Amino acid sequence: MIGRILRFPGRLVRASTSTLLRTGQNVLTAFVQIWANKGRSVLTTLGIVIAVTSIITVVSLVDGFGQYLTKMLRGYGTQYMIVNPYVPPAMRGRGMRRVTLNIRDIEAVRTECTDLRRITPFVFAQAEVAYASETAEDIPIRGVTEHYQTIRNFFVDAGRFFGPVDVDNGAYVCVLGRSLLQLLECDESIIGDYVQIGDARFLVLGLLQSKGSVFGDDQDKTVMIPYTTSLKLWPERRDQVPFLAEAIDEDHIGSAEAQINRVLRERHTIQAGQPDDFRIDRQDQELKQFDKVRNIATGVLAGIVSISLLVGGIGIMNVMLVSVTERTREIGLRKSVGGRRRDILTQFLTEAVVLCTFGGAIGVGFGYVLTNLAALHPQMVEVQVSSWSVVLGIGFSAGTGVVFGLVPAFKAAILHPIDALRHE
Amino acid sequence: MIAGDAQTVIQLIDVEKNYRVGTEIVRALRGVSLSINENEYVAIMGPSGSGKSTMMNILGCLDIASRGSYLLSGHDVSRLSQSKLARIRGTRIGFVFQTFELLPRTTALKNVQLPMMYAQTSNKKRRALAALERVGLTDRATHRPNQLSGGQKQRVAIARALAQEPDIILADEPTGNLDSKTGDEIMAIFDSLHTEGQTIIVVTHEEGIAARCHRVIRLLDGRIASDTRQTPAPATNPIQEKATVA
Repeated sequence: MIGRILRFPGRLVRASTSTLLRTGQNVLTAFVQIWANKGRSVLTTLGIVIAVTSIITVVSLVDGFGQYLTKMLRGYGTQYMIVNPYVPPAMRGRGMRRVTLNIRDIEAVRTECTDLRRITPFVFAQAEVAYASETAEDIPIRGVTEHYQTIRNFFVDAGRFFGPVDVDNGAYVCVLGRSLLQLLECDESIIGDYVQIGDARFLVLGLLQSKGSVFGDDQDKTVMIPYTTSLKLWPERRDQVPFLAEAIDEDHIGSAEAQINRVLRERHTIQAGQPDDFRIDRQDQELKQFDKVRNIATGVLAGIVSISLLVGGIGIMNVMLVSVTERTREIGLRKSVGGRRRDILTQFLTEAVVLCTFGGAIGVGFGYVLTNLAALHPQMVEVQVSSWSVVLGIGFSAGTGVVFGLVPAFKAAILHPIDALRHE
Repeated sequence: MIAGDAQTVIQLIDVEKNYRVGTEIVRALRGVSLSINENEYVAIMGPSGSGKSTMMNILGCLDIASRGSYLLSGHDVSRLSQSKLARIRGTRIGFVFQTFELLPRTTALKNVQLPMMYAQTSNKKRRALAALERVGLTDRATHRPNQLSGGQKQRVAIARALAQEPDIILADEPTGNLDSKTGDEIMAIFDSLHTEGQTIIVVTHEEGIAARCHRVIRLLDGRIASDTRQTPAPATNPIQEKATVA
């Protein structure tokens, strides 16, 4: 009894070794067959190749954009929202009163919305900036408060930002983005000097850290001044002041949004059922927006992949059926020397899977090439083939092999040895 | 005569085999009883339609009888499942076919190993090499079928049949695709295997082949028409003489 128990693991090892050997033998036979029918094999795997190429390429690109966007939005903070005066297109010119969003509204939001940590008006304009003999045109001028830097995670790294006193006084002070240095052909010594913005002279207090560009939009080409000063320069903006508001933490973005909504509707005396006359854009929803794009891309991918896998799979099935017919005598022989149905089934199934995986491997190769070609584009975000997309691609192709190899393999397995041996 | 204490390898008891061809039922074997002892060298003959192919299929466990029983080395194999029959074919029966049936693009050695792969026999390579040596093809072990002559192919096939040390070797027209000289060489191998104690059954329609066997069973219309034991014809060429002496 003990002897038998002791022998058992040995037998198990022997059995599994032999299974492994037989699988190896089957894979080897499969490669011999594929090599013997090179042209046919390559042509039949075309569908699989296309499917896997699309999986690798699309997944890599979507992944690259996703990571880029997430990183970018994280860098600018995702806890804030932008509130703009806004009329839905359908309601325009239908007797709604003029849309306003002014400093008193913003002040009310600041005092009444308890889920907000910081808030800053945001007056946006474009103007000419001049220094010495150099001028730069169409420079975005952002009128904000000192809170803007924290909300947007956009700080100075030389000199200082303007403070609350500057904002209260409407002081003619500014901080410059790094690109302005190039445009005005100067260096950091510009701090403490004066630049001309529109018709006014501004003291340069500091320089903003570099943020690079987002989708070709240079974030460093900007000038920030107190919003009070902006409203002096562009007084017509007084009734149209957007603002940025930051929630106390990520879990309170929704409730902060609801508070803003309630306060503004109350102040603007909007009746229930009437649309808002403002729009709140949450930054964390930009991510969700991208998730939508990602889902669409995934859907399209799934479509392409399933169609090409279907076509590829039918191709595989077809070629395997041909192979079974061509090799009927071989099947007969294998049966006559002891091959059972399941042995034959496994053999042909292995062949289909190997054929498909072979196509999948070619697809992975093409995917790499396409992804790297796309990465060559100068405006392209950083992309690389993710290992899980390779696993996905190979997995899908092997799965196709199993599904579409089953019918031919079964057909081979149930052949009667005598009929198979007599096959001409 | 075979000695009385010789072991019975094959025993057919009242075996019938019926096929359905369309709506018609063909009675291929109509009650065949037969026993073959160890180390017998038997030829099965008969015109086409006599049932000799059916007989060979049943003896080879490629098919099962409609009625009656078949004992192979004392085990009743007449009602076994497909996979058990496959196992018996792989371990107890060695087939030699008219058309060799070697796997293309596969070396002689691998071809000989095929039955052992299915039976999960250990020491495949050693056994396969030993079998190739018995048919005198050690130096062709790594050759593929397309590099071998017809006679060499049939010798590889015989080695494949031998590798598992089967109870019987079942040869179906083994010389049918060979010229007479090569055919003689192949028969010489069977002669020497017989001398070494192997039970051999040859299905043939050639009287010359049957003449070398020790027992000839003639079938006609699904019945045994005659079953005669004979002294084999004397060797006609040097190779066979050598084999007989060995």
